[in-house]
Amino acid sequence: MTLEDKLKELISEWDEDGLKELCSTSIESKEAKPSELLKIIGKIMQFIGKQFEDEEIFLPDLIGSANIVKNVIDDILDPAIRQSGESKETLGRIVIGTVEGDVHSIGKDLVGSFLFSNGFEIYNLGEEVSAATFVDKAEEVGAQIIGLSSLITMSMGFQREVIKELNSRGLREKYKVIIGGSPTSSEYADEIGADGWADDAIEAVMLVKKLLGLN
Amino acid sequence: MKLKKLTVLSSDEISTINSASVELLSTIGIKIDSPSARQLFKKNGAEVNDNDLFIKIPEPLIKEKLKKAPNSFKLHGPDGKFNFEVNTTSTQYATIGTPVKIYDPSKKSGVRKTVLADTIKQIRIVDSLKNINCSHIDVWPNDVNYLSLHAHCIYQWVHNTRKPYGLGCLGRLASQDMMNMASIIVGGEDELIKNARFIGFMNPTSPLYLPQLMTNGLEVFAKYKQPTIIAPEALAGATAPVTLAGLLTQINAEIIGGIVLAQLFNTGAPVFFGTVSTITDMKSGNAALGSIETGLITTAIAQLARFYNIPSRGPGGITDSKVLDVQCGFERLQTLLVAAQAGVNYITCAGTYEETLVEALELLVIDDELADITKRLIEGINVNEETIALDVIEKVASSSKKGVNYLSEAHTRKFMHKELYIPMLIDRNRRSTWRKKGSKDIIGRAKDKVEKILQSFNPPDVDNEIENKLLDYIKEVESRTLENYKKAEGISTGSVSLPGADITIKDE
Repeated sequence: MTLEDKLKELISEWDEDGLKELCSTSIESKEAKPSELLKIIGKIMQFIGKQFEDEEIFLPDLIGSANIVKNVIDDILDPAIRQSGESKETLGRIVIGTVEGDVHSIGKDLVGSFLFSNGFEIYNLGEEVSAATFVDKAEEVGAQIIGLSSLITMSMGFQREVIKELNSRGLREKYKVIIGGSPTSSEYADEIGADGWADDAIEAVMLVKKLLGLN
Repeated sequence: MKLKKLTVLSSDEISTINSASVELLSTIGIKIDSPSARQLFKKNGAEVNDNDLFIKIPEPLIKEKLKKAPNSFKLHGPDGKFNFEVNTTSTQYATIGTPVKIYDPSKKSGVRKTVLADTIKQIRIVDSLKNINCSHIDVWPNDVNYLSLHAHCIYQWVHNTRKPYGLGCLGRLASQDMMNMASIIVGGEDELIKNARFIGFMNPTSPLYLPQLMTNGLEVFAKYKQPTIIAPEALAGATAPVTLAGLLTQINAEIIGGIVLAQLFNTGAPVFFGTVSTITDMKSGNAALGSIETGLITTAIAQLARFYNIPSRGPGGITDSKVLDVQCGFERLQTLLVAAQAGVNYITCAGTYEETLVEALELLVIDDELADITKRLIEGINVNEETIALDVIEKVASSSKKGVNYLSEAHTRKFMHKELYIPMLIDRNRRSTWRKKGSKDIIGRAKDKVEKILQSFNPPDVDNEIENKLLDYIKEVESRTLENYKKAEGISTGSVSLPGADITIKDE
């Protein structure tokens, strides 16, 4: 069994402790550098994302795997990369969250997991996230993209608040803002001055790649 | 708990119908025009009238022979690897029908005549489906001479599937061909008798008649212990009393007559207690297979089959619609759900519409999904500590996170496939996603699946020696004339020798 096979098995079994242990011992024994592990795990997540897209696996499989991988990156790989002085390869940093007035998480989490499985670094801020928090976090992590979700019609208006916040701080040009969620549309994105709208997780990946000139 | 079985007869009503059917068989009798079959009945104590051709079967003989029919048996694919068991408690899904036309939206009429290429496609699709386990020469190859059609279909069977096959008991000669060709394929008669490959179809003609062509074929199938479906297609109000109890009494007698004869031909011959009976549409005189009454009759036959401890066969997923419309959809699910809830052991007619006269490969793959849906229904709701999931509810609901949900819980992942049926053809997308995927209806999505299956199909290997023997055998069959068949069935004067038919009947 190769290191990749072992990692794949642990990820698909949601074995977070096992995955952490394997990553730590691989780094300690110098079997793989943290950045290499990150690359392999990225490849595995891409495979899992493709399986989801092809309807071979389902929502819980994707979100659950992405969750444990995210924890392993935060707790083991990121600190190890910083310690070794290596630079972390990523397609881009994205801050996402559900806007104020809305606690719905499933669609946003799915988009986050799917972007993550496609090689992006995701900062999922959760739900009922204020405009200021979005911008603060984007500044803190050096994001390129801010993704705003809302499921209920009443919370849509808060997507506009984030853009206003960027404008007021003079940061609007620094970030691409994308929106999504049932009541939203590309027309609505234009109306509030967002940079893009995606209908679902698969489209979100395409949109982000387009905005970052990755195609 | 699991879903309770659907029943339409009380145990008293079952006894009443049984008594009435036995009375019918012992006092009126059943018409059998095969002299050898009548002779066999006579030898076993039945009262035979050679003028009106009716034989009266005494009650003890009925009871004794019904007990000889096995309550379970297995069916195997050509190479014997794939197999499934038919018994009185489980449900298998299969095709069966007589489609002479196939769905073709490019034609103005929406259908066209079926050809051998369609027969092959249907066999291949059944081979790759999860639930539909047997194809039954449904799709009629109009481009093959009907006198050698069985031989060509068996040739295609071995080349295109790993699953067993169904054929009509269409006379002694054709049935013997089927056994001879199967023996070539499986490596001898002993193997064929030990591990059945074919399901025969024997239709009594209502009212109360077992026609010679069918009984001749039944004899061969019984000799080789290939299971036969004894299934009258009586129509309430036309070929049976309009009252469903009257129809049931009559078809019960017809089925029992066929089963007793099968056991007289060869004790222990596997049979299905079958029906494809329905009502007469009083506006047109047509059979109304998609009707709810078909479901009532099928349910009653499933109960009677359990009473006699013999596996049942009934139609499900059946419709009278001429197009793939809402009627086609609700009639097929209505008949399928009823048959499954009734506990029918072999549910047939997948892939057909218009009273099984037309095939749609798209419906075949949809029916495979409908079989999954009925299976899920039958499973019911499983209640125990783990499924009540108090600990998981507590964990998720009391989480400090705002947008809490169960999606990434191990419990969800563990149970999602058991608790939820995840369909592949049914659309539950949002309109925009559905539009992006081509705005297809279920027929369009099913068509994609059909194409995918056919493109990736990997045919089984056939040994060169078997191939040559089969081709030689087909040549022999093709050299026959209609007169040859008539002679073999005793319909014409004179006789013809049967190739290979020298197996001895194990008669009591």
